[in-house]
Amino acid sequence: MKNPFARYLLQKLVWYILAFFVAVSLNFILPRLIPGNPVAVIVNQMATGGVQSDTLERLYSTYMKEFGLDKPLYVQYFNYLRNILHLNLGTSFMLYPGKVKDLIGRALPWTIGLQVPAILSGWILGNLLGAFSAYKGGKFDSVAFTLSLVFSNIPYYCLAIVFLYLLAVRFGIFPVGGGYSFGTVPTLSWRFITDAIHHYILPYLSMVLVAIGGQAIGMREMSIYELTSDYVNYAKNLGIRDERIIRYVFKNAMLPQITGLAISFGTMMGGALVTESVFSYPGVGSLLFTAIRQSDYPLIQGCTLIITVAVLTANFLVEIAYGFIDPRIRAVQLGER
Amino acid sequence: MKDIIILLFRSKRFIVGFVLFLGVLSFALIGPVVNPKNPFQMVGGLFSPPSDKFILGTDNLGRDVFTQLMYGTRTSLLIGCTAGVIATSIGVTIGSIAGYKGGIVEEILMGITNVFITIPSIVILILLSIAIKTRSAIVMGLVIGITAWPWTARAVRAQTSSLKTREHIDIARITGFSSLEMIIWEILPYMFSYIFMAFILQFSGGILNEATLSMLGLGPFQTVSLGVMLHWALLWEAVRTGAWWAFIPPVICLSMTTFSLMSMNSGMDEVFNPRLRRS
Amino acid sequence: MGNLLTAVNLRAYYRTVQGEEIKAVDDVSIEVREGEVLGIAGESGCGKSTLASVLAFTVIPPLYVVSGEVRANGTNILALDRETLRREIKGKYISIVPQGAMNSLNPTLRIRNFVVDVLKEHFPEISKEEALQRARERFEALSLPPRILDAYPHQLSGGMKQRTVTVISTLLNPKVLIADEPTSALDVSSQKIVIKLLVELLRRQIIKSVVFITHELPLLRHFADRIAIMYAGKIVEVGPMEDIIFNPLHPYSKLLMSSVLVPEKGIKSKKIEAIPGVPPNLKNPPPGCRFHPRCPSYIEGVCNTAVPPLIEIKPNHKISCFLYGGKDGES
Repeated sequence: MKNPFARYLLQKLVWYILAFFVAVSLNFILPRLIPGNPVAVIVNQMATGGVQSDTLERLYSTYMKEFGLDKPLYVQYFNYLRNILHLNLGTSFMLYPGKVKDLIGRALPWTIGLQVPAILSGWILGNLLGAFSAYKGGKFDSVAFTLSLVFSNIPYYCLAIVFLYLLAVRFGIFPVGGGYSFGTVPTLSWRFITDAIHHYILPYLSMVLVAIGGQAIGMREMSIYELTSDYVNYAKNLGIRDERIIRYVFKNAMLPQITGLAISFGTMMGGALVTESVFSYPGVGSLLFTAIRQSDYPLIQGCTLIITVAVLTANFLVEIAYGFIDPRIRAVQLGER
Repeated sequence: MKDIIILLFRSKRFIVGFVLFLGVLSFALIGPVVNPKNPFQMVGGLFSPPSDKFILGTDNLGRDVFTQLMYGTRTSLLIGCTAGVIATSIGVTIGSIAGYKGGIVEEILMGITNVFITIPSIVILILLSIAIKTRSAIVMGLVIGITAWPWTARAVRAQTSSLKTREHIDIARITGFSSLEMIIWEILPYMFSYIFMAFILQFSGGILNEATLSMLGLGPFQTVSLGVMLHWALLWEAVRTGAWWAFIPPVICLSMTTFSLMSMNSGMDEVFNPRLRRS
Repeated sequence: MGNLLTAVNLRAYYRTVQGEEIKAVDDVSIEVREGEVLGIAGESGCGKSTLASVLAFTVIPPLYVVSGEVRANGTNILALDRETLRREIKGKYISIVPQGAMNSLNPTLRIRNFVVDVLKEHFPEISKEEALQRARERFEALSLPPRILDAYPHQLSGGMKQRTVTVISTLLNPKVLIADEPTSALDVSSQKIVIKLLVELLRRQIIKSVVFITHELPLLRHFADRIAIMYAGKIVEVGPMEDIIFNPLHPYSKLLMSSVLVPEKGIKSKKIEAIPGVPPNLKNPPPGCRFHPRCPSYIEGVCNTAVPPLIEIKPNHKISCFLYGGKDGES
């Protein structure tokens, strides 16, 4: 491969595919560690709900076939992989015969629509705040830093619960949950969109504020670190003005922050899912919440898989962008060191 | 050592965090001793607000919220601590071996670490939690611990790598210490502050992870924790009903705990990383 | 040939978090003359780098200038405000090639962009192309390949980086160039090239004088006009190079010279002596003459009671030692 950047790309791609395989394998193996036959358990649970016995029979055999639980483990594994590549994520237990794929497909846009803007805007605003705070120092810095410290260490869902209670239940400014008003049908009308935005604000705020806090702290630390480096001192010695030096520092401090962005997608996921549940927001989080309650294993597995894929993809994209921006990375690939 | 402690107590952030944490800790430890009621006992009306009889009211099943809070905080702290100890131990072991040995050992260990950093830990946590039969507090701590180590491993490896180049290492190596002895006696002592800070981070993270898992419904069986309290609140619509006493107290406890730990950490960072000090 | 820079009773201390003072530069008076190469030599920790920082106005906490003046053209530069310092002095009158020049270049900036920044800062009216052209000419004139300008710092070798930093530091034709250990991290052949560069800069009158700070005395043999020996934050002897190297007078200078290995004629017959003891603690320096605990010519009651003043025992040769006078205020 002549083009060094293409080499970098390929390297990263191989790595991520490997990670994906590990994740998929874990996704496959772990639930199968449940002792006993999960299908029997589920079917029994349904029996107590007063379902007809011949329906139960059909359910049982369908599931056994789908799961292939009668076949040896490695065959199950290959079946699983094959299914995934065909985007067949199985059938839900509780919403039978709803396909997992469809359920997740409906929920995913809501999750992406909430999390991606929240993480991105939190990152941008947080970095700006952190850098500015480092530069300004003094009172501004103390206040901003303390606030950031407080906000970044409150779990999103705690903030979410507080917001929901205060602003929605108590003071009625915002709706009490859901992605849109109960009973309305999602259309592309202006009315629907404003309604959706109204429902969007609280979950968005809960996440963004915490994200800003976290980023600000990291960026501030990086900026302070950079502000005391040798190259800053040298530039000052040559009489270069502060504004220009700030630009140097910001650029250099940003680079590790980009890696931080990639990582945020993964670490924020847990809290984001719960935040969705708190607001009954129709995303993957609420889906997962109900799936766990109903022990709907195919749905749970489908959700975890999709979450993993989403995070890995986000990571991958950010790593590529990073490779573009940092000349040192490009140099390593170009083999100049 | 004494100077370090004196310095730490000069840091405002550390003191704030430390005091808050002590408060939470005493509440969790002393509370149940002084007030040995059963958090699962139904003692009052459903969702009744705070009164003289019940300081924090009752939940949807008529159980005393205040008692739940005490026991819940204790459980959360226990799980967090267990997770912290396990994650830190694994992380330090893997990180120091990788950093010290270098070469192919480092590549392999770091490769594994990186894979587990990239895969979102919540996913592994969910999958593990539904797979295990009994979910006691300790087991949960264990599960969280074995998914949280990669960060510590990476950080410890970086530190070990740079410590490795110091002169006293070469001298010790010439005197014939084995790799294990080298790591334990010559490298780890210098990283003590670092490891301690890593533990605090893991402790805090463990508490958060437990809360997240519990809120999703994967919490410990037959036990009350802060996360479990919030789960119940979610499940039984405490928020929408306005029964603030069922969820605001656990929210406050949870936030205070994580905040105090991170504040301590921030204070320690200031003291141990002089470059970050602004004079 | 006047003095370009005169330091008068300079004291610069480090203040620790615990409130202690480390007296890194303690009552130093020295002048830098036009056209000369002044070498400042001493062991690690003697305060020479701190002195360099003060002379170059890179004093950042925890380092503080406690008292004293640095005069140029009659004005005390230390008293000037920040903005004037930045516009008139830094880089233009006094410039520094810092210790560890390797790390002084911004890793994410191409050399040429940094150079343009420096030039445009001080000559805002010139265009980017003009600035680049000037830079190219300067680099070529000093035998540096112009390809350096297009590179990132990590693409250059250590010696290359050192030379680049040296050239950049002199872009504005400063009168005084302070070189803080410019050759410490380099191999011998790179060292030679760097020194040749400094000589060339002087020859072409791009700079008017050099203050060369080092702990490697042999380097000064071929390069310096005057040498000042520092010990524990003070200057103990300063004089012409030949005197200091071949005929040192201060007990410390003598020990320093005899502890140095130089591949020259007659070296085999010389004995190498290590200096006994350890450098003093600058938090609580020994009373009186700082060197007295390790001095073979120590006089009880004299050397430990008062600090010997720096007196001129010969024209152009000053020394701080009671063996040569200075007792009871004689000069």
